[in-house]
Amino acid sequence: MYRLTRLVTLADSGRLSALADEMRALATAHSAYRQLVAPTLAGSHFGGELLAHFAFDDAVQRSDFDAALAPLFAAPAVASVDGVAYQSGPGGRSEPGLANGVYRVLLLSVDEDTDPALVERFEAETRMMPHYIPAIRGWQLSRADEATGARRWTHVWEQEYADVGGLMGPYMMHPYHWARIDRWFDPECPDRIVDARLCHSFCAMEASVL
Amino acid sequence: MMTDDTAAAPTVHAIDEIVAKPGEGKALLEDYLARYAPGARARGMTLEQILVSPPMWLDDQSNTLVFLWSLAGAGAWWQMRFVGGNDPDVGAWWADADARAVSRRRFFASDPADMERLCDV
Repeated sequence: MYRLTRLVTLADSGRLSALADEMRALATAHSAYRQLVAPTLAGSHFGGELLAHFAFDDAVQRSDFDAALAPLFAAPAVASVDGVAYQSGPGGRSEPGLANGVYRVLLLSVDEDTDPALVERFEAETRMMPHYIPAIRGWQLSRADEATGARRWTHVWEQEYADVGGLMGPYMMHPYHWARIDRWFDPECPDRIVDARLCHSFCAMEASVL
Repeated sequence: MMTDDTAAAPTVHAIDEIVAKPGEGKALLEDYLARYAPGARARGMTLEQILVSPPMWLDDQSNTLVFLWSLAGAGAWWQMRFVGGNDPDVGAWWADADARAVSRRRFFASDPADMERLCDV
């Protein structure tokens, strides 16, 4: 499963709807078997105004689609784009029946000189979040094959929730998050390995994309 | 009668454990209190206790300094985290402190009696 996520920040927000339609049409023309293009919800941070997620059967399809997107993102109406191309990481859980929920994506960048064993430990602990926080209905943690934007994004951490309350409540407030996982991100903690610049973006979804 | 919805959020703790370089313990404690603690208090943290081990200043070996802070619940914890995590002066303080330490840990904890409520989110 070859995936592509783009967080689009617009210089001209009046183009949001038209750009979203153009991206959806391109994705259909390039045989994306799953796609989500939607305005981001309030509370996103460096998450763009438009969140776009696509899945393809093979790398060539994904690459061709990425190339086709480039002219859209080069238009004056687009201020910047953050994103990753990746294959689904190990583990993960999908709930195909989850409808009218919320899809959330976090792009993060692990420091380049980090001990690989530490990166694996960070990944393993992150993959346990859904075990402790049942509000996470679907999830996937993946390493990026390619990255674009403000950082050399190394990972994409995706979750799906029944509603935005699952993200803002249990996900944020559970001690497994703030008292355990966050030390990898916290500049005050000596365990920190993740750059402080993150892309935290979420949007409404009609159907599960994971 | 007070219900769970109106009860105060369970107190949570942040604990700094710093093993100072030999002979640095006393100066590091004084700098922590002068340079770090005021900002931490402004971020909602309350310094509950300081412990020094062993309870004498060592010239040729390491002292371990422990600082026990409290915060008024997970919401206050995130407030502290967002403000401190984005303050370059805080980052500069820790870079300096780490250069004067053999090792350092920061971890977060609660009273066992509060664990169930903290997890009920």
